[in-house]
Amino acid sequence: MELKLPLSLSKGTIRSLYKAGISIGFALLLTSILFLLTGANPFLAFYYIFAGAFGNISLAAETLVRTTPILLVSLGLAISFRCKVWNIGAEGQLYMGAMLGTITAVALGNTPLTLIISLFVSIVGGLLWASVPAFMRARLGINEVITTFLMNYVSIYLIQWLLAFPFRSPDTLFPESAQIPSSAVLPVLVPYTRLHLGVVIALFVALPLVHFLMMRTTFGYKLKAVGENPEAAKYGGINVGRTMLLALIISGALAGLAGFVEVSGIQFRMRPSLSPGYGYTGIVVALLGQNNPLGVALASIFLAAIFNGSTTMSRALNQPQGVVDFIQGVLVIFVLASEYILRYLEKKGVVKI
Amino acid sequence: MIEWALIIGFIAAGIRTSAPLMLASLGETIVERGGILNLGIEGAMLIGAFTGFMGAFLTGNLWIGLLMAILGGILTVLVFGILVVRINLDQVVSGLAINLLAAGLCLYFFRLAFSQGAFPYLSELIGPYPIPLLSQIPVIGDVLFNQTIFVYVGIIAVPITYYLIFKTSYGLKLRSVGEDPLVAAYLGIDVSRIRYTALILEGILVGMAGGLLCLSMFNVFDTRIVAARGFVAVSIVILGRWNPVGALAGSLLFGFTEALSLWIGTFLIGPASASISQLLSLLPYLVTLIALLIGGRRVRGPAALGSPFSKE
Repeated sequence: MELKLPLSLSKGTIRSLYKAGISIGFALLLTSILFLLTGANPFLAFYYIFAGAFGNISLAAETLVRTTPILLVSLGLAISFRCKVWNIGAEGQLYMGAMLGTITAVALGNTPLTLIISLFVSIVGGLLWASVPAFMRARLGINEVITTFLMNYVSIYLIQWLLAFPFRSPDTLFPESAQIPSSAVLPVLVPYTRLHLGVVIALFVALPLVHFLMMRTTFGYKLKAVGENPEAAKYGGINVGRTMLLALIISGALAGLAGFVEVSGIQFRMRPSLSPGYGYTGIVVALLGQNNPLGVALASIFLAAIFNGSTTMSRALNQPQGVVDFIQGVLVIFVLASEYILRYLEKKGVVKI
Repeated sequence: MIEWALIIGFIAAGIRTSAPLMLASLGETIVERGGILNLGIEGAMLIGAFTGFMGAFLTGNLWIGLLMAILGGILTVLVFGILVVRINLDQVVSGLAINLLAAGLCLYFFRLAFSQGAFPYLSELIGPYPIPLLSQIPVIGDVLFNQTIFVYVGIIAVPITYYLIFKTSYGLKLRSVGEDPLVAAYLGIDVSRIRYTALILEGILVGMAGGLLCLSMFNVFDTRIVAARGFVAVSIVILGRWNPVGALAGSLLFGFTEALSLWIGTFLIGPASASISQLLSLLPYLVTLIALLIGGRRVRGPAALGSPFSKE
């Protein structure tokens, strides 16, 4: 018997879906084994994760709140990874965007334009921070993986210092910024939840824009050409260095935006603990979503759900915190191996595409 | 005036903080000579630190900890090896995946082993081992011969690695695999075997580098303990032009920068001292970036570095 999908999908899409399914399947299988070894019932554990992520309106809203920064970061990374520029500095770019956005918002005070200007500054902040490794990669041929990662440390130490001294809030005891003015706050969408306008920016502005950019423009085509074969792209008349440079700074811009959206929608102050590693989660999400904006959106929701749900699960089943990190870690390995596994399954005749 | 003893103390500290970088960058030099770019070194160091800490904590024996660190390092690097040698995946992405996997595993298992709020620490560290007689020499004795075994191993590993890469038949094969694996394979060299051997050697060195962080520098484990030292080591390999002597020089440069950023902090007085010494924490990373900017432009490494290889 052959299964017929109701939609007509291209072979490439079907392969991507299979690969995502294989990755998630294997990762969850390994996580189940882990649960068994630590004395938890895997079915119950996954039930609690699901219930903790979507159990009621306010939990589902929290999952969307968590999705917002992850989606913004990973959309940018999808652009950069599409042309095989491995930006692993999104964490630092997010922090720089958040810091500059916060400084701007606090400095401007309550004006009708505070929010817009601060959001804009955060984009520029992430962009500028990413432009250093972008320049080093495109013009000097210095491996961006090393430079973007090292810059994470520079930015985080710099921000810890900025928050401990020059921009320390006058009204609290912690190293954090002053509170942003009320006009810089993203409004809440659903009463009695923290679901703020940021989710609209991520899902209904950034996602379609990135989709358009990647699928419908010459720049999107160039990204793909450079990613698949930079030599051929060069012969085809594409400026490889410029494409890489742009890809990296656009991903930095989106990470920077994610940072200030988090301040403006959730924290209201810049803190050294702003991000629990969204910059790294974004890498897993972009890879799992196979650099396709829609895939990335689904993967963002998936990881956000595990992020939130595993907290509930840990409490209910007395499991240690950090299951999400475990899942993230094994997920990325299986995303990598999924192409190999899929080819093996095809050879054995288990899967036909 | 600053006293001599302080300066000698500073130089000794600089060499001490160089040790993990020496070990890691020598290991990375070996595999990169064979055409493999292992960015998973950060994760391998983290696993080494974790298994080293757990081994020492659970048995109460630091040397068993060291052994576990080495095993952890080898195991992590071999997982990376399976991804890039066995199934020919992209080396950069595989390295990133190893780092994320290592971070996830260490965070989870550390929390599994110790309840929230527990603060496990090692009651002793692997301290300096003064070499008899040599450590009695004024100045040099204190700087060079009153160090931990990790410094000795790191320094001795430089000529050994050099000899291995440039003077042995294995080294010749390794370099030819790194330049052109296809030609090497035609000449009858077992590319996979050469690369796995290189990876195991790296695993030993990197496992030690990670382990020493817990066993000899800090007596606690934290998932942030490696703090980009793996990536600094990869930068050192580039700056040292894939040569063990260059790796030693680079490691000393960054070890001294790290020591300097801590050392200056202890001398500052006045209201701004806390502020400045906190800002100095970013110095080692900034120096690495600037060094790459100056010395890392369009350098030519082994020709096949980073490209997947399959015989088909």
